[in-house]
Amino acid sequence: MTAAALELNGLRKSFGKTEIIRGVDLSIAPGERHAIIGPNGAGKSTLFNLITGRFPTSGGKISLHGHDIVGKAPFEINRMGLSRSFQITNIFPKMSVFENVRCSLLWSKGYKYSFWTMVSKSQELTDAADAILEQINLTARRELPAGVLSYAEQRALEIGITMAGGADVIMLDEPTAGMSHSETDYIVDLIRKVTENKTLIMVEHDMGVVFGLADYISVLVYGEIIATGRPEEVRADPKVQEAYLGAALEEDH
Amino acid sequence: MEFFLVNLIDGLVYGLLLFMLSAGLTLIFSMMGVLNFAHASFYMLGAYFAYEISTYMGFWMGLLLAPVIVGIAGAGVERYGLRRVHQYGHVPELIFTFGLAFLIEEFVKFIWGNNLVPYREPAILDFALFSIGNNNIAAYKVFMIFVSISIFLSLLYILTRTRVGMVIQAALSYPRTVENLGHNVPMVFMGVFGVGTALAGLAGVIAGPQLSTFPGMAILLGSIVFVTIVIGGLGSLWGALVASLLIGWMTTFAASSSFQFADILLALGLEKPVEMSESALRDLWTLTLPQIGPILPYMLMVFILVVRPYGLFGKRDS
Amino acid sequence: MSDSTQNSTVRPTGVSFSMVLPWLIAGAFLLVMPFVFTSNSAITIMNQMAITIIFALSYNMLLGQAGMLSFGHAVYMGVGGFMCVHIMNYVEDYSIPLPLPLLPLFGGLFGLGLATIIGSFSTRRAGTVFAMISLGIGELIAACSIIIVAFFGGEEGISGDRTMSLPFFGNEFLQQIDVYYLISFWVMLSALLMYLFSRTPIGRMANAVRDNPERAEFLGYSARWVRYYSFCAAGFFAGIAGGLFAISYEFLTAENLGLLLSGEILLITFMGGVGFFFGPIIGAIVFTLLQTVLSLQTELWQLYVGGLFVATVMFFPGGLAGVLMMHVPAFRLGNAKMLIVPYIKTLIPAAIGILAASGFVEIMFYSRHAPVGEAEMVLFWTDIDTSSMIPWSVTIGLALICFWITKRNAPDLVETWHRANAIDGGDA
Repeated sequence: MTAAALELNGLRKSFGKTEIIRGVDLSIAPGERHAIIGPNGAGKSTLFNLITGRFPTSGGKISLHGHDIVGKAPFEINRMGLSRSFQITNIFPKMSVFENVRCSLLWSKGYKYSFWTMVSKSQELTDAADAILEQINLTARRELPAGVLSYAEQRALEIGITMAGGADVIMLDEPTAGMSHSETDYIVDLIRKVTENKTLIMVEHDMGVVFGLADYISVLVYGEIIATGRPEEVRADPKVQEAYLGAALEEDH
Repeated sequence: MEFFLVNLIDGLVYGLLLFMLSAGLTLIFSMMGVLNFAHASFYMLGAYFAYEISTYMGFWMGLLLAPVIVGIAGAGVERYGLRRVHQYGHVPELIFTFGLAFLIEEFVKFIWGNNLVPYREPAILDFALFSIGNNNIAAYKVFMIFVSISIFLSLLYILTRTRVGMVIQAALSYPRTVENLGHNVPMVFMGVFGVGTALAGLAGVIAGPQLSTFPGMAILLGSIVFVTIVIGGLGSLWGALVASLLIGWMTTFAASSSFQFADILLALGLEKPVEMSESALRDLWTLTLPQIGPILPYMLMVFILVVRPYGLFGKRDS
Repeated sequence: MSDSTQNSTVRPTGVSFSMVLPWLIAGAFLLVMPFVFTSNSAITIMNQMAITIIFALSYNMLLGQAGMLSFGHAVYMGVGGFMCVHIMNYVEDYSIPLPLPLLPLFGGLFGLGLATIIGSFSTRRAGTVFAMISLGIGELIAACSIIIVAFFGGEEGISGDRTMSLPFFGNEFLQQIDVYYLISFWVMLSALLMYLFSRTPIGRMANAVRDNPERAEFLGYSARWVRYYSFCAAGFFAGIAGGLFAISYEFLTAENLGLLLSGEILLITFMGGVGFFFGPIIGAIVFTLLQTVLSLQTELWQLYVGGLFVATVMFFPGGLAGVLMMHVPAFRLGNAKMLIVPYIKTLIPAAIGILAASGFVEIMFYSRHAPVGEAEMVLFWTDIDTSSMIPWSVTIGLALICFWITKRNAPDLVETWHRANAIDGGDA
């Protein structure tokens, strides 16, 4: 049996005296598309920040493909095959769109800290970056500074940067936050396209997006996972209905 | 014992002087994230303004008015300079204050020339208050200690007992929250910047007669002040106090000691070379503690940064 | 030398002519200059300029490329220079067969060596903390130079003789002009290497770390190591500049390590423009010219330079290069001609206004510091009497009138500017 793509055991996090994450257990199989939902303040983003090494944990275990990653720096976790996007767009605003994507390719293509190769000399690098631009539909914006793109385009670029490094575990933090309906549809298609055969973990508020994309859903309430399962199971779970989903589902139908 | 007491007092004077500068600097830094490179330049302006005023109205009016003028100038710099540069980020802000320091020094040279100006302590304080052994302690030194300590106490009172102080304290730890609570943060910034620079100006007013007033006085003290707040921990008032006193005493004691490094070398069993210029260690043989006194703060800083990167009392990452 | 932030329009098809052209022009320029300006003093100034170019480019590897503000960069140049003087003396004392043109390489290696040590703890964090540490280290080493006499020569500094090294194809570098070509070679080489460095993976990631260190960490790069490598590279090139300084001047003092020089290079680089590769080059050329020309004309030149610097930080954070490159879109759209008249209408009165204002400042300075009873000074090649009100009122009046005209014409310039940069050109 292969190890889970990502496994959390009794994960905890406190800020001062307040415990935000109160013992989360979760196992996500390779190739699964897993959505984490929950009301505001449930600790979803904190959970992401713990997994990716942005915040230090207060207790518990995190393993990526069976390897312990607690206490590792973000760049080390990234090199082990986990990549994430951010809720607030986090790109390199002064660099061109192409440059943004190319930078995110460098490590995975084995360039490391080299100062003896020219990046523009590598046909492979340029082609790979252009292929990603094509995928995220930004070829026409190739030379523009990333900071001047529209919001939806920046979100698309953010996803492009996140998956460019070839990580097989992709974590997206509210990829459609603040988007219009048509923009959301565009991003959902994009996510489906670029995460094929990869493990996807996402935090999302838009239930349409969640039920459209996810194979499995976990519900996080006050730092604890109260339910995990197939979308229809979660939808039917009375605990979830009570805690959170009810209102949202009524709206949805 | 006499030697010790005299140095204790001298070090205290210097340390408290450093504190008046580093307190303002660290307050400004914690609130605005701006390290004011020109802070010591405001200290220099304080001394020069007080000198100019004292030639017309005497020392005491200078003591009263010069810090106010410096504070107004500082608030103006914040309002019309820093606030504009703020949009570009912290590094351009630091570059701006660096340019300002340069400009203020040139301005001072333009108005008052390159040489010392005859800024003196008032006649009423120009006597020896008491003596320890054969060493007279000037009344002015005691006056300096008195002023510095009362400034420290009133700062402590304002920060811990008043509403404004609460806002500032809160802004030190949770700058964003305070902004969201609807306090006029730009106004608070301007105020803190003004008060911080006024404090530096006051330090200049009282230090001018003691350490002499000349265009290089800002640079001379400026880097030490930065070192002080780095050692104390950026943004920590207590750290600034401890580091200031530490540096004050360290440099004072080092400057007046007669310790020679040759003693260590002899104790280690090395033989003093006959032909000194041939020895590779000749600098160590002739080195004395007073010589390295001025660089002790820098060495301490490097040491602290290696073992404790956030400084003695620092907590918050910049 | 294209924009450092937006390259990559060039397809990876090897070296294209348009990429090489600026370098060929620069090379030709360096070759021809001594035939245009033949005097020894002119060549000395050009040597100074070239050394400053390398130093400023190396400084911009930190500030512009990697976003690290250093207040102690002179240390790496200085230590490289001191080492080179020592090597020169060894070469002389022990007749070591080392040709002089190789010497800067050793300067570079010692700059690099020092940077690897200092950088190991100073690059842990960027921003303000890095700036403070660089200042502290700079002050520490500058102060050490007075104490460690064996290496730094104390207050007097140390000196050497470049002509005692192994003749290089028969050349003993007796003349300034020989040194000029040696320095020119190193300027071209260093500038090219620094340019290429910015095109390597580490150079690209330096930009990424500058813009968003956290995101870079989530792409597999440690921001700290990226900063560290950039810092070491900058130390290397600063050391080369130091080696060239040692060759050109044959002596170094504590001043070569001090805060003053570190601050000066910040000023030069920033005024030239940190956002573009060629910015520091412009900065170095303009500043060296300003320094030599202005300092002959007025005692107050540093006041003016300081004012110019503060104005640059406040209003043109892109520096001279930024201002120049702002015009590229208008040129591309073919609308640059529209700007000529509004520019004349605003810039000429502004220039006259500034000159008049500086005249007023000069008169004020003179009357404050002149010996008692003397009231005659020369201002703009005119003898004037500072005791009468006429020069005071003429200069201040002229300045006010000119600034008023500038202010009145400025909106027109702004409007034309917008039209010139609009895609639909002048029709709007």
